[in-house]
Order: sequence, then structure tokens, then C-alpha cells
Amino acid sequence: MNKIKVPITENLGHGHLACAGCGAAISMRLTLKALGEKTIMVFPASCWSIVPGFWPYSSYRITAVHAGFVTGAATASGVRAALDVRGDDETLVAVWAGDGGTFDIGLQALSGAAERNENLLYICNDNEGYMNTGTQRSSATPLLAWTTTTPVMQPKENPKKDIMAIMADHHIPYAATATIAYPEDLIRKLEKAKGIRGTRFIHLFSPCPPGWKMASEQSVKISRLAVRSRIFPLYEIENGRDYTIQEEQRVVPVREYLKLQGRFSHLTEKDIEITQANVDDTWERLLRRARC
Amino acid sequence: MSKQITFKSVSEMPMISVSLGDMDWNKTGTWRTQRPFYEDKTPPCSAACPAGNDIVAFIQKIAQEDFEGAWNIIKEENPFPGVCGRVCFHPCESKCNRGSFDEPVAIHALERFVADFAFRLNKKTGKAREKRKEKVAIIGSGPAGMSCAYHLARLHYDVTVFESFSLAGGMLRMGIPSYRLPKNILDRELSDIEALGVDIRTGVSLGEDLRLEDLKDYQAVFISTGAHRSRGLHIPGEKEKGVLSGLDLLKKINLSKRVKLGDKIAVIGGGNTAMDVARSVIRLGKKATILYRRSREEMPAFEDEIVEALEEGVKIRYLVNPIRVGQKDGLKRLECLRMELSEKDESGRRRPVPIPNSNLFIDADHVVIAAGEEIEASFLPEGLEKKEGIVLTQRDGSAGIKGVFAGGDLTSNQRTIAHAIGSGKKGAMAIDAFLKGKDAEGAIIQNLIGEGPSLSIWGYLHPDERTRNPQIVKFEELNMDYFEPAKRQQESKSAVKERIKGFKEVSSTLSEGVALDEAERCFSCGTCNECENCYVFCPDGSILKREELFSHQVDYDYCKGCGICFTECPRGAISLKEEAK
Amino acid sequence: MKRVITGNQAVAYGVILSRVDVVSAYPITPQTTIVEELSELIASGRLKTRFLKVESEHSAMAALIGASTGGVRCFTATSSHGLAYMHEMLHWASGARLPIVMVNVNRAIGPPWNIWSDQSDSLSQRDTGWIQLYCENNQEVLDTILQAYLIAEKVKLPVMVVLDAFVLSHTSEPVEVPSMEEVDSFLPPFCPDYPIDTQEPRAYSVITMPEHFMEFRYKIQKAMEEVPDVSKKVDDEFRSRFGRGYGAIERYGKEEAEVLLMTSGTVTSTSRTVIRKLNEDGLSVAGLKIKRFRPFPSEEIYGAIKGAKKLAVIDRNLSAGVGGIFAQELRASLYPREERPQVFGFVSGLGGRDITPELIGQAIQYTVEHPQPEEEILWLGLKR
Repeated sequence: MNKIKVPITENLGHGHLACAGCGAAISMRLTLKALGEKTIMVFPASCWSIVPGFWPYSSYRITAVHAGFVTGAATASGVRAALDVRGDDETLVAVWAGDGGTFDIGLQALSGAAERNENLLYICNDNEGYMNTGTQRSSATPLLAWTTTTPVMQPKENPKKDIMAIMADHHIPYAATATIAYPEDLIRKLEKAKGIRGTRFIHLFSPCPPGWKMASEQSVKISRLAVRSRIFPLYEIENGRDYTIQEEQRVVPVREYLKLQGRFSHLTEKDIEITQANVDDTWERLLRRARC
Repeated sequence: MSKQITFKSVSEMPMISVSLGDMDWNKTGTWRTQRPFYEDKTPPCSAACPAGNDIVAFIQKIAQEDFEGAWNIIKEENPFPGVCGRVCFHPCESKCNRGSFDEPVAIHALERFVADFAFRLNKKTGKAREKRKEKVAIIGSGPAGMSCAYHLARLHYDVTVFESFSLAGGMLRMGIPSYRLPKNILDRELSDIEALGVDIRTGVSLGEDLRLEDLKDYQAVFISTGAHRSRGLHIPGEKEKGVLSGLDLLKKINLSKRVKLGDKIAVIGGGNTAMDVARSVIRLGKKATILYRRSREEMPAFEDEIVEALEEGVKIRYLVNPIRVGQKDGLKRLECLRMELSEKDESGRRRPVPIPNSNLFIDADHVVIAAGEEIEASFLPEGLEKKEGIVLTQRDGSAGIKGVFAGGDLTSNQRTIAHAIGSGKKGAMAIDAFLKGKDAEGAIIQNLIGEGPSLSIWGYLHPDERTRNPQIVKFEELNMDYFEPAKRQQESKSAVKERIKGFKEVSSTLSEGVALDEAERCFSCGTCNECENCYVFCPDGSILKREELFSHQVDYDYCKGCGICFTECPRGAISLKEEAK
Repeated sequence: MKRVITGNQAVAYGVILSRVDVVSAYPITPQTTIVEELSELIASGRLKTRFLKVESEHSAMAALIGASTGGVRCFTATSSHGLAYMHEMLHWASGARLPIVMVNVNRAIGPPWNIWSDQSDSLSQRDTGWIQLYCENNQEVLDTILQAYLIAEKVKLPVMVVLDAFVLSHTSEPVEVPSMEEVDSFLPPFCPDYPIDTQEPRAYSVITMPEHFMEFRYKIQKAMEEVPDVSKKVDDEFRSRFGRGYGAIERYGKEEAEVLLMTSGTVTSTSRTVIRKLNEDGLSVAGLKIKRFRPFPSEEIYGAIKGAKKLAVIDRNLSAGVGGIFAQELRASLYPREERPQVFGFVSGLGGRDITPELIGQAIQYTVEHPQPEEEILWLGLKR
């Protein structure tokens, strides 16, 4: 095997409050390694308003600006504008928002910033639900999943919103999906994004052990199965037009991914077939978009 | 390390909730319910290596392009990497976990690569600086005797090896044709042992020239005289002229290469001696036919040997059993019965039974019987215990007389080079323990690899160094996510046309690049090779890098015990246990 | 230099002269000509300001929160629904102690849709921790913006400068526009207390436990308590440089009057005329202009009402269930005092209905004639 190489700097300090096995903590640690210290990161409400610790402490070793739930892209636009006025075009302005803060409540601000092609890197840390508030459904929650607002008697009726397609259709210079099981891919994409001006969007998939009712030691494994099962394919879109798909050679049925998570334990054979069909359909859509 | 910050009054507080310190004071290790820890476990290859090679360790050195380091690791356990890399039947590979994924790692080829690399650089193990006063005599200079001599010399004993033949090496020299094991390879590894100060006295036969009583100056004796007597077939005509013993013929060919033989040779037997004889005969320009009473599946010869023999034009007739050696028109005429296979016997192979009235006749200039070897017991000293055709040794390696130990083919029916090397090592450890008044059996048990019988002397020599958990790593304990299928790299073989012209070595040593590729294939089962997955994936930044041998350690101050390092370790080198309350 | 400009143009001039670094706004009637004017100025290169043309008022304020945290001077303008939509971010701006200045052009909040002047929008933000300054004319609008930055940056609280829809926003008046140099010497560049420095990274607006939260709120209150003194100094300084000053309140009319009329915004201008006339007619009545609503100028008012027996308040706003908000605040501020004049709370001019001299006259007459109000809310000009 090839040794996975990641930058040595640690910009997420010790003692943070992420749950054991938190996929997003891995995401954050790797992301901050890739982005480096010359970064201002805006945090609309999410687990990451809490995880770094309570005042007067913070385990971030970069400049962190906590912000209102709705405002990730807008606050970052303002920070960027301030830096521009001050003549600082070196410092990276990034947003770290959850799926709620991106797919749902923050979508308008994000769309606005993307349309203006604000010079910022927007990272959506997607754990497929409102995990910070105790696992309620978001529009990023997958089809048929359990959450506290989609109980097993009536699991989520709608498939996950295609945020990447939405972002691509803003014709931003760069959008990419990434996940912790592929750290070098994740870091490559972040570094690539860092080198581009304009709005860059990273859709980062981060398993949540308590929210997904999965074992804490399986965050990376599940993240990998998400890619292999094509429920979360890895790809990049440049200028809303040019697609590059990082295809996993070892494709597995979505069942392999579902079976490790309690949020899918109520699924019947029929449900699994429906999910597989949805995954296949979404994959086909992606291929069609990529071909056009 | 940061401390907690307290405020006595509102005036000490800043205007806004801007951070003033880090969270390092928050020891999240207290959350932990399970504790990960680095623990080397036993790879199946080493456990399967009768010579006790630390296979993972030397392959990892190759992967790091430290070929000399690899050589040093092999030489800790085994003085014959050049020999073993060529002619060992490599049971390590059949246990290699990679075999469950794609194909086993070509361990033997890597061992050979390392040996030949060291040879090119003229690497020597070096002479032991001071000698202990005790002297040890070793009788027989085959792989068992020389392995014992090697390890004892490294333990600073004054070692003398007595060899009845004029050259050292025993079966390695006499029993193995040089197209498989070139003599210069054997010579250099023997001379490397000699260079440690081992005195080899050739032309001294036990029984005739030397008796146990003559060895009073020696505080211990290791007998490893091997098994050199060919087993007969017990059929009429086998003692007649024109009927040869396989081992005798091989010895002649290996030593002179000039043997008078007729054109057509029938070889009886299905083991490696039969193959060696047939392939040697082919190289002398003759025709060779092997007669074997079972089918190919039951053949004890190594698969490679069979394949190469067939490539070179050896004919094999299966399911035929000679019942009489006769004579016709100046040729030997073998009368055989056709056989068929019935149910399995105690060896697990299907038993051949004759088909009545199926007699057939095979004519040949010479008939060679290669149906196995047995020990020559006549010259052995009195008092050695014998049972079922071998000399019986105790678990501490002793052979029934105080200070007398035995090993190699003499003491075992598993007559392979690797077993011989391992038993020599065991003898050396037993003798050292005996001479130092220590518990030999205990020392041996303590240094078994996995559940044994493979034995490591490294652990014996370095009792305080890290030890492996004897648990053998199963394929299921590895994480295949980190490995891509990769073709097994093999030594290239010369063309058949070239091969049969003479006794030049058939296969060639791996090139450096190919060896590196092959070393990369090793899963390094149960052994941390600093791949850093644990470090990369830790959500809590709780894997610390360390300069020492183990490059990483868990920072228990902050480790929350999620177990991701355990899951994502590709090789099962991290364990989890419940946290003590 | 004197120019004839609308209130919204006066706002734009205030922004230019304050050397605002970042503007972020979303158009809404009657604020639109402000953003149009600023866009023109920036497009023509006369104004070196980044203008973030965001997709909502919420984002406009959020962007300024980002920019102000980034250490630059910020401005936005809005009105009515836009202000209401910003509500969450107003709290954020003051909680983060960011000296943002915002203009709110007073407009009614629907439904029914109504674009005309009404203070309910700004007054419903009274608890967001913003300083609120109400303007009477276009000159005051410009001058107040200049003063607002100085006050905001001294006490680290955001300031809302309020003007009436159309009556000021779209009405031209002669305005003395000071020179850039004059303003520069009055208003130094903004120096944030906690500037962003990636070399010394820190986290802003970190979540705070009950253990410390209250102390941060206490500090906001303490900052508010500094405002009367700070803004007086700023106003005095302004007056010494530019010859104009406003105070937190202004009393006009007869000096020893038993009846006082309290107004804010452009109603004050009308009231001045009415009261001058009544004084000439011999009526002992005076006017009280309230410029600063937050922090509420209790001390200043109490000092100005000595001897008055009755206070008439005209509120162009309604807190349904209570009444006019100025009257309510006034009653609350008088309660602990020894001398507590009767407060007559008039509600009038909602949704931009004109508050005519006649209506003002009626209010004063009612106050004079009644020992105490007959109703909690005195609806002025209501079609009963």
C-alpha cells in the first residue's frame, strides 16, 4: 500500500468536544491541515459551534469567526471584503457549514455568494441531518433514513437534495465532493480549491456515529463504503461544466453501506431495493451530466 | 499545556467572547471506555517458517530499500538465506495472508534477492570477538549442523564441526543439483559461518574416525548426520546391476557431473529426489521417465519442480507401481502394475491399489530408485534413543545422553532444509541453556513464533526487547481497503532449451525494482510499518509520532477510544481492550 | 458647500465622508435611492468602497458583521420588512460589539402593504442592543451619520440612524456638506479592539456558558450607559467644528411651560411651527424633540421637563396592546421620579398619514383641557 501523506501541521487542537469517532472531526483536522494557518474560517451554527469548546477557550488554531446559522456565505463575503479593502489577498476565507446550514437554512446566502462569485471556499460538512440538535431530518438526509423527525414508522420520504448540481449550475469555478476515507483526495481538492479565485464549494461527507447509530470505530469505513456504493461518489466540477469523477474500482451494493448503520436498520428488502434504485438513478444522472 | 482561565470579576473579562486559550486542559481521555494500543502480532508466514525467519521484518526493510538491514534481520535467525531463497519449499507462502486476497508474496524470491545483494557487497556476519571457554562439537555439516554451529558461534562458543565427506554442506551439497542451488552460493554461506571462527574438519566420520569418547574436551555435542540411506522398494531385482539409488546418483552427479549412464533412465518415486534425478539426467543428455504409483495430486515433490521437470522433457507416468526389475536385450525391464486410487490413507492421500492383471513392462538402460531416504543408525553412539526410524530428542533438544543433542534429518521425518536449519537453531539454544545451567525447555517455549514449532533466537538473545503477541494474524483481521490487487513477482527462468544444456541455475534473482514491488505487496501482518493510518484518521489528534522503533504512540490524555485506529490499521498491529475503570 | 439634496442623498454623502470601507445592502422602498446613489458613486470611481450587493437584508447585515469583524468601517441601509428580516443579525452585531452604522428609513410593516412613513419598524428593534438616533431634516441626517461612526467606534455598539420615508428620504432640502478634510479631522480611521491576525489566531463569538453570558450582557449595558456622555462630547466637538449640534433631546418653545409636546423625526418640524404659533397666542406650551431613542435619554428628558405638569407624546408607531412606544418609554422613565407629569399618549400618522399642524394643535388642546388622559391611547386623526 502507499502511505497516506497529509500535512504535518495540526490546526485543530486537543481537548475538543467532538463525540468519539466523529467523522467531522477527522474532516476538520484534515481540512485545517490542508488549508494552513493563513485561513479565516466562518462557522455558521453547527456542531462546530460547540466542538471547539466553550469560551474562553477554543481548540481552533486558525482564526475562527462564529456566525449566525443562516449566514455562512454572507458573513464570509464580508470578511473577504474587509481583507480586500485592507489589501490582503493572501489570506483564505473559508466557510465551514453543516448540511442544515448549507442545503437548508443557509442555501439562500450561499446561492447569493455563489452568484456573485465571492472569493471564498465554502465547505459543507454533511452529516445528513441536524445532528447538533439531536438528529432531525434535513434536506441532506437520505431516502428512508430514520431521524427523530422521520421515525421508523414514517422514515424520510424524499431523496437527498442534489446540492452539487445546484452549485454547479451557479457556474462557480470549482465544486468537489470529498470524504475522510480518501484523505489525499480530500487534501488535493482543498489545495486545488485554495489555488482558485472565486466561489469554491467542497461537499464533505462526514459520518456521525451517534446520529447514524453506528459504531464509533467505523466512521472511515462507512465513509469509504459510501463512495464504493456510489451513494456518495467523488467528483469535481469545474466552471459548472467539466466533470471529473474519481471512480472507485471496488463497487459494492448499497446494502453493504446501509447495513452498518442503525438509522437504516428498519429497512425491508424492498426498501433496500428502492434505495439501490435511487442510488443507481442518481449515479446515472451524474454520468449524464458529466457527459454533456 | 494550557491551564483553565478564571475571572474574579466582570472587569477582568474582555468585551467580547473572543477565545483566550486552547482546550488542551480538557483531557478527553477520561471519556474513553476502550483503549487502543500498539501490539505486534505474529504473521502467519513467520509462524510457518521452520527456520524461524522474521519474514515481515526483512520484507519491510526491503520496502524501505534497506537491503543490508533486511540481510541482517534474516541472518539473525538463518545463516542460509541464499540457500533457502532458492530451494526452501517456502511453507511461509502457502500461509501468506495475501494468498486470500490475490497471490502470496514471493517470500523466497525476496530472501534470495537479499542474500544475493549482500553477496554482491561481500557482506560478512563478522567474527565473534571473544570466545567463551566452552567447546561444542557438531557432527555433520549439513544445514542443521551448520545452523547450530552458526548460532553457537554467535553465542561466543568455540565450535568444531566434523564432516565425514571431504567438503562441508551435507545434503545441500550432495543432494541438490546445482541448477537449483549453485555451489558458489552454498560455499559463500558456509564460508560466512566459518568466518565466525567455526572450525570445520572434513573427512572425519562418526563411528569410524570419531567416537563420542573422543569428544571429552567438548562440553556439548550436536549430532546431525542426516538421512543418507536410500530406501529400497523391496522388489525382486532391485539389487542387480543397472539399478541405482537416487541419492547416490545425485551425489555423483553433483560432485563430478561425469557419470556413465545409458540413454533411457527410469526413475521410480514421486518426491524431490526423483525430480532432481530426472532433471539431472536430462541435463546429461539422456531421456528420463518417472514412474509414480499415485497421481500427480499426491506427488510429494514441489509443484515447481514437477512443472520444470515436465518443461524440460521429463516424462511422468502416474499410477504405475514396479513389482520386479528384470532384464531384456541388455536393458532393464521393469514389470509394473497399473494402480487405481481408493479411499484416503492416514497420510490424507488416496491409497493406490493395484488393478489385477494390468501388468505392463517398461524398458530402460538404468533404473533409479528414489523412494525416500532413511537414517544410517549403525555408527551412532550407544544410548541415543531411537523410535520409528529417527533419533528421538526431548523437548529441550537433548538426545538421551547428557550433553548430547541432535537435530536435522536424523531426528525428524520432516526432512526439509528449513526444518533442518530450525532444528540446528533449537540445538544451539538448548546447548547454550544447558551450558549456562538454564531451563532449555522453558527458553524454547518462550521463543516460539506463534504457537511454534518455529523458533526465534532473536527473542532468546534480546529478552527485554519488545515481544510479539503469539496470536497469528488472520486474514479477517486485516483491512483490505488499503491494498490493491498486484501481480506476484517471480524470478525469471531461462529458456528450457538453455536449461537442459547444463547445470546452470534455472531461475535468476529479482532485480531491485521488482524486489521493491514485491516487498510492497507484503501486508506486514501484525507489524506496524509506520503507514500512519492511525495518525491520519485520528479525530482527536491523539496519535503522537515518535522517533524510536515504534514510531507512533497513543496520547491517552486525549484519546477518546473511538477505535478508528484499530479499524483502519491495515495490518492488525493495533489492539483494543476495555478501559480499566 | 451647500447642496439641495434629498434625505437619501444626504445619507450617501454621509457614507462618502465617513470613508466607509464596505457597504452591503439590499434594495427596499424607500431606501432604494441610497443604494442607487452609492452604486453610482462607486461605479464612477468617486467612492473607494466595496459594495456587496447581497441577496437579502439578512445577508447584508451578516456580511457587515463579517467585514466589521475584519476590522473595517461598514454601512448598510434598509427599511421596514428589510429591517425586520435583519432582526437576528441586529442582535449579533451588538452582541459582537461591532460599530456598524445603519440607516433605516422609517416605513410601515405590512400587511397591508404600505411603503410610507411609520416608526414601527425601527422601534420594534429597540431591544436589539443598537443605539437609535432619529433625524428631523436632511442636514441632521448627514451630520448624524458622521457622529454615529464616532459614537459607535467609541462605545463599540452599532448605531441605527433613522429618517422618515419620503418626507425626508425623497424630499430635497438645502444641506451644508462638509469637506472630506473637515470630516477626516473629526472622524479618525476605525481601529478594532480585536483585529484579525492569522499569526495570532483566535476565535470570535465563542459559545458561552451561563457562567459568563450575563457578564457580556452587563458590558453591553455599561456601554449603553456611556452613550449619553460620549455622544454629548461627540456632539459638542461636532458643534465646535461645524457649527451644528443636536443633543439627545432638544427643548424649544416657551421656557416655563406647563404642557410639553414630545415628538421625534419630521413631526418635530411641524410641531415647531405649531408651538411657535401657540406661544405667540400666549399659550404656555413647549416642544421636546427626542433624537436619541436608545439608550433612552431619561436624564436629559427629566432635566428638560422641570415644572411641566403634562406631557403630550405623539407616536407615529404602535405597539399593539400598549400604545405608542415613545409614550410608554417616557412613562417608564418617569416612574421612579418625584415629579411625574401626566403623560398623554397620542398615536397618529401611521402608515404615512400626514400629521398636520391641525392634528398637533388638537393634541395640545386636548392635553391642556384635560387634567388627565381619558384613554391610555389617544388616537389622533382616527376615522371613528
